[in-house]
Amino acid sequence: MQRHDVVVVGAGLAGQRAALAAAQAGADVALVSKLHPLRSHSGAAQGGINAAVGAEDSVETHIYDTVKGSDYLGDQDAIEFFCQSAGPTVVEMEHFGTIFSRGEDGSLARRAFGGAGFPRTIYAADRTGLALLQAIYEHLGGVPVTTYEEWFLLSIVVRDGRVQGIVALDRRTGAVEGIAAKAVVIATGPAGRVYGRTTNAHSCTGDGIAAAYRAGAYLKDMEFVQFHPTALLESGILITEGARGEGGYLKNRLGERFMSKYAPHVLELASRDVVSRAIVTEVNAGNGFPGGYVTLELMHLGREKVESRLQEICDFSRSFAGIDPVTQPIPVMPAQHYMMGGVGTNIRGETNLRGLYAAGEAACVSIHGANRLGGNSLLETLVFGKQAGTAAAAYAKDAPDAAVTPADVDRETAALHALEDRKDGESPQRIRADLQQTMDSRVGIYRNPDDLHRALVEVRALQARWRAVRVEDRSSTYNIDLTDALEVGHLLDLAEVIAVGAIARTESRGAHTRVDFPKRDDQNWMRHTMARRTPEGPELSYAPVAYTRWEPKERVY
Amino acid sequence: MFAEEKLIPVPFDVYRFDPAQGGEPRYQHYELKLAPHTPVLSGLLKIRDEVDPTLALRYSCRSAICGSCAMLVNSKSRLACRTPVGPEVAKHGRVVIDPMRNQPVLRDLVVDQRGFWSNYRRIEPRLLLDPSRPMPEGRPTQMTPAQVDRFRETPRCIACASCYSACPAVEADPEFPGPMALAKLYRFVVDPRDGAHDERLRKVQLSGLWLCLRCHLCTEACPKDVRPSERIRDLKELAVRSQGATERGSRHAVGFLENIAEAGQLNEMKLVRQTDGLVGTVGQLGQGLRLARKKPELLKKPRTIDGVEEVRKLYEALQKDEEVPL
Ligand SMILES: Cc1cc2nc3c(=O)[nH]c(=O)nc-3n(C[C@H](O)[C@H](O)[C@H](O)COP(=O)(O)OP(=O)(O)OC[C@H]3O[C@@H](n4cnc5c(N)ncnc54)[C@H](O)[C@@H]3O)c2cc1C
Ligand code: FES
Repeated sequence: MQRHDVVVVGAGLAGQRAALAAAQAGADVALVSKLHPLRSHSGAAQGGINAAVGAEDSVETHIYDTVKGSDYLGDQDAIEFFCQSAGPTVVEMEHFGTIFSRGEDGSLARRAFGGAGFPRTIYAADRTGLALLQAIYEHLGGVPVTTYEEWFLLSIVVRDGRVQGIVALDRRTGAVEGIAAKAVVIATGPAGRVYGRTTNAHSCTGDGIAAAYRAGAYLKDMEFVQFHPTALLESGILITEGARGEGGYLKNRLGERFMSKYAPHVLELASRDVVSRAIVTEVNAGNGFPGGYVTLELMHLGREKVESRLQEICDFSRSFAGIDPVTQPIPVMPAQHYMMGGVGTNIRGETNLRGLYAAGEAACVSIHGANRLGGNSLLETLVFGKQAGTAAAAYAKDAPDAAVTPADVDRETAALHALEDRKDGESPQRIRADLQQTMDSRVGIYRNPDDLHRALVEVRALQARWRAVRVEDRSSTYNIDLTDALEVGHLLDLAEVIAVGAIARTESRGAHTRVDFPKRDDQNWMRHTMARRTPEGPELSYAPVAYTRWEPKERVY
Repeated sequence: MFAEEKLIPVPFDVYRFDPAQGGEPRYQHYELKLAPHTPVLSGLLKIRDEVDPTLALRYSCRSAICGSCAMLVNSKSRLACRTPVGPEVAKHGRVVIDPMRNQPVLRDLVVDQRGFWSNYRRIEPRLLLDPSRPMPEGRPTQMTPAQVDRFRETPRCIACASCYSACPAVEADPEFPGPMALAKLYRFVVDPRDGAHDERLRKVQLSGLWLCLRCHLCTEACPKDVRPSERIRDLKELAVRSQGATERGSRHAVGFLENIAEAGQLNEMKLVRQTDGLVGTVGQLGQGLRLARKKPELLKKPRTIDGVEEVRKLYEALQKDEEVPL
């Protein structure tokens, strides 16, 4: 059995930043990731990272924009800390070696992003996530951290009221192993594959969120799911907000820049939920193109600008949709993009379980409240990755020794064997397809009680089917059939929490739009949803939102 | 634009091998019907989801950014997620899928990348600071757009190992760190924040830089247009400029250049001396004499060709043009 002070699960930006912080605090750190760290989904982020560093901008307005963007569900103390940390965080990443785009004077170049008062988003061409991921990986290479590459988290071990470590599967050998640790940081990233139409990678299956939930942690605000307004029609591949920041137009079949009807002042730069709803409204009203979509136009920007400033978008449209954005409009529709919810934490990354921490998209602090602003989540991974790593190391210093027992490991081994030994049963891929169908059609941008209830019934039926899932592949080496089955199990847990939370929340706020309750209801719903696992399903309770200075106002753009 | 594309039959032949289970590698045949623009990866995932869940491969982002899905598509190193099936079928009649080369197969299309990563780590891929030039306190370093341009396309690298798979020097010599590692090294050597340029160039001269065969297969294989072979060429030039010709490969290159500039053609005797030094040349005496017996003109000092002035001007112009600014 392996033993460390701190185990960080997930090696995207949040996990690597946490590992770095914990190692710098003197802890013996392990970094466990089902993908090679550089293959993490953080690398796919294109648009940029927010920091109010411009002379005309201020931390104060960044705070205000984030509070307002969150539809007043974000915790204001956390948001203040978050925005104050933005400048130093970006500077630190620059010093680690990030190759940012620059202005003529040699300063960090900035662009305008949705929901922001000023050009505040610092970027690296249109591959900001890759640039940051490379830099932190390179920097971490000079720090003593033990990396378990292509190890898959199976469970978090909790005993005597505190975390004892994890059990994980070595994908290369098929071995199931325990890693004892006094503190565990969950940084396993998004859960977008709950949906079929998503901008997220295939690997974004919410494993760590589900493991924390099963271990007894509270999941917070899971019903808040952000849809990105512009994803390629067929594949769901994201066309970054940067495209609109650079001056792209959204048009319907009638050739109208229809955003003038929904956000007359900022048009295409309105925040994501506003733009996503506008597109769906247009298409539902029959103003979409045949097949149900709108177009994003970049043609008027000219070849030079499109090809230099929006390289990856050009590449994406050409390679994945056969469209040349220099001369053709890009067919787009909204797709699931970001989970505002996650493992509930405070500002230090602590959860309700002793020794369990979370950061990044897998966590919910909450900064984003009911709706995340573009450019704020890359920042979140770094700010709160550092917080969680620092806190985990401090806790581990004084915590009693932890142990993962052979029984802990045997339990997981037996569970895997049960999946493989079944003679008949359904394939995990089949169950996944049905789940995604349910979530796409019933728990989307506009939500009605009928669909939500039906979705819950369907998800529970799928959970029953999953209990008889059969893994056909018997190999011990790189068995994706097996990890598929585990991932689908996680997605089902999370889908259930999303549906239950969405049914309960009888208001519309941020990304959560109930057609039967179209207004925000501050009287009853200015509070966080907390879900705890019970044998009967998720049990909901509610927690207050932290206020400092900003009174809730109606959100208009 | 989105007119229903007609589905075409796509025959896949996919490499299968599980060393843990024993047996021999084989190709398994699958027949799919797909729209021509469908990426190879989508085809393979369809096979996994609907036909055969035992097929092992790496993939994640499906948008050419995570670097997971490099493999051979009809013998070429490609990212499966950005290679459409239509042109493959049109050209080859089918889609033959093999694992990448130069990395042992773990199973089916999954290769062991530990060698690839350890070669990458050899070049010390992180900023190494010069203590006399610390980072500015509390603010970012200044870097002009022109300085950013010097990275060329290297920041686009997704470490997919397509170049590593395509490289004959990697296959021939374990000393060669591979195209990706060298492109990465270039990225640090032109970084104004890095404080170890000379040290990096000194080390790389001695650890494989000149083993590159200049075949450009890496540049052809790279799905992100990073152009590793061009950056390797730049590194050679930077290395010689910073360190002088300290090593066989560089002495050969510099000698070659001087010969031509001097006489407009090669002086083979002199070049051997320049490359291997006096002692080394003695070692090659036997071979040299055998050669000279066959081609006695090699022993004569070659005359200066008529247009040598033109050649020199050409060199000067080229040198100005290709200057890699530091
Ligand atoms: C297409 C796209 C574009 C985006 N653009 C922007 C942008 O411009 N600006 C912005 O601020 N935000 C953007 N975002 C959001 C942002 O990129 C993510 O929220 C953020 O990168 C998440 O980082 P993370 O470290 O939490 O997770 P990830 O980077 O996803 O890392 C998760 C890690 O967990 C590991 N892992 C997962 N499951 C397991 C398991 N079972 N066992 C072991 N390890 C596991 C993975 O291997 C991986 O290393 C974008 C998101 C997408 C999808
Ligand atoms: S799946 Fe990520 S590069 Fe192809």
